[in-house]
Amino acid sequence: MKSKWFTLLSIMVLFSLLAACGSGGTANTGNTGSAGESPGNGTAEAPSGGEGVTTVQFWHSLGGKNGEYMDALIQRFNESHEDIEVVGTFQGSYDETVTKLQQAIASGTGPDVSMLERAYVQMFADAEVLEDLAPYLEQSGISADDFTPGLMGHSYFNDKLVSLPLNRSTPILHVNKTLLDELGLSVPTTWEEMKEVANALVVKEGNEFKRYGVSMPYDTWYPIAMISQAGGSFFNEDNTSIGFADNGAGEKVFSYLKDLQSTGALYYPPAQDSGNIVNSMFVEGKVGMIFQSTGSIGGLASTVDFDYVTAFLPKDEVYANPTGGANVTMLSSSKNKDAAWEFIRWMEMEEEGGLEFILQSGYLPFTKQMVESEQMQELWAKEPNRKVAYDQLEFAVDTNKDVAWPEIMHEFFSAIEAIMYDSKDIPSTLDTFKKETERILAQ
Amino acid sequence: MKTLEWKSIGQALSIVLKAAVLILFIFPFLWMISTSLQTLRETMAFPPTWIPASPQWGNFVEAMNAGPFLTYFKNSVVVTGSIIILQFLVMIPAAYAFAKYKFPGKTVLFGMILLAFMIPGQVTFIPVYLMMAEWGLVKTLLPQIIPFVSNAFGIFLLRQYFMQIPEEIIEAARLDNASEFNIMRKIMIPMSGPALATIALFSFVSHWNDYFWPLVMTDSAAVRPLTLGIAMLRETEGISNWHIIMAGNVMLVVPILLVYLFCSKHIVKAFVYSGIK
Repeated sequence: MKSKWFTLLSIMVLFSLLAACGSGGTANTGNTGSAGESPGNGTAEAPSGGEGVTTVQFWHSLGGKNGEYMDALIQRFNESHEDIEVVGTFQGSYDETVTKLQQAIASGTGPDVSMLERAYVQMFADAEVLEDLAPYLEQSGISADDFTPGLMGHSYFNDKLVSLPLNRSTPILHVNKTLLDELGLSVPTTWEEMKEVANALVVKEGNEFKRYGVSMPYDTWYPIAMISQAGGSFFNEDNTSIGFADNGAGEKVFSYLKDLQSTGALYYPPAQDSGNIVNSMFVEGKVGMIFQSTGSIGGLASTVDFDYVTAFLPKDEVYANPTGGANVTMLSSSKNKDAAWEFIRWMEMEEEGGLEFILQSGYLPFTKQMVESEQMQELWAKEPNRKVAYDQLEFAVDTNKDVAWPEIMHEFFSAIEAIMYDSKDIPSTLDTFKKETERILAQ
Repeated sequence: MKTLEWKSIGQALSIVLKAAVLILFIFPFLWMISTSLQTLRETMAFPPTWIPASPQWGNFVEAMNAGPFLTYFKNSVVVTGSIIILQFLVMIPAAYAFAKYKFPGKTVLFGMILLAFMIPGQVTFIPVYLMMAEWGLVKTLLPQIIPFVSNAFGIFLLRQYFMQIPEEIIEAARLDNASEFNIMRKIMIPMSGPALATIALFSFVSHWNDYFWPLVMTDSAAVRPLTLGIAMLRETEGISNWHIIMAGNVMLVVPILLVYLFCSKHIVKAFVYSGIK
């Protein structure tokens, strides 16, 4: 009796899987067909906004305060454009937005314009779903040189300009200046100084650390920054392997971190919610310095009760820092490309567009015009911490660009976990990671 | 005398254990309420703040003003309400048929229902989304409702419950010329109140709290439920305003508590009843 049930069930599982594959396949082909001819959807929406009004769907990942600033930006655009209506929609975190884009593009319900976390740009560009923006730029008389150079690292793919910087950030050193002053220490600029300062900050009572020197969230961002500082690069030049194994940069970074960790100079937080943990500890003075995104400057400045300054990430051989945040892209499937471009152009170039948003949110200014603007200069005079973030862009370098990055990132996280949490042997862990990366890159 | 002492020790022990379990469950809940009344500085404090210095009721206003909260709330109510009503319309006749009828293919069909019960939404969401997109339903609330009209777990649970109702009662009703519809309405439903209440509550809680399905099925604020509205309070980068997020969560949870207050007696009965059998 039991075995009969079992066969029955397994047959049904098999059938349902087949059915699922079958329907997935047909739906896909059905849609690639309908994607071209389905202005049925597009035209059905367009008139709903009134005569001659084109609707542009814009997906973004900004929640909280930044989401409100983005909504305000969209409203300003709509008020100044009678013939275009931008509908902005929050689609969850960066990763969730990516998932949603993948499914929406497949079913022909994608937006016209979307925000895309910079590391995913390559993946979408490789799938040829992003519009080349170069002709539009030319048509509007904008040059690619008008943008902040350090933020253009993820904009090109196979000589096509597939995205423009929008809400961009970079990791930076946040310092509790009051603590350092008390101990007569100055803000570290090199790894050596960092080690001294971090160790000097440690307060240990019995077996318990009351204060640590430096901390950083559990993320690939910071080790990648340090790999570049140590003279390595994440991928090698032709993207066939990692660029920090044979030159010893990886080993140097992780043994430096482990060395700091062993004396309490480095507090490496638990993975879950590490960003918030690190911020809280910094605000409470439980750690003197943190590596953290420039996106935290505003929040930290308004909560701390000590002298708070930012500084470049300390250098080893060179100063270096990756960039983060998201770019804006136009989807090739858009049926309202001119209107979509007008929105992107306005957002990137106009004062009441992007500049206003950047001033409010604290993201990095992404055009030279923004940097030179009076408002930005005024803000920097008032909050020098923000200027440091921009100045550091001179050393911005993104070395983890590859279509397979999202997959390799998970492997890199495993390597970080093995070393930082389980104290696994550094060379052998990196070797395993290298082999795994080469396997993925060879695919 | 001795036994009495042991009894009271046992009782004391059971009270202590119950209290421990209660604290374990109620603690995160109280923390949520406490955080919802704190300032940002207090939420970041370590050791954590337990009681806010002065309750920040403004957090609730701020959470509500962060988006079209009334729309979200209305969508949550419409989606969850429709799902429960439609589920009952499908579930009761189905469970009745599976419990009390003999027909060819019954085991296979019931097996398929169990199978549906075992496949998670993460497996089916892409084909379902593509189907909904093809039908042009993405801009409506229907993609959040249609896939849940049939509740496999509910059919399963209710069938077990219906099977316990003696055949004789149904036979007697049939002899009195009662229609099948009336048998369901006047006998099956009243006799399985606790089970129905349980299913309704489970269904309510899971759909009211659902985040994943509405996230992947909706593209615009006009059709989104409260859970997505609250997720929107989180900062993508930078410092999360936990006090505002928790204020939103408190508002999300209140309806569940209200429903639970009304259903709790029935639910306890449902479990006790099936326990005896």
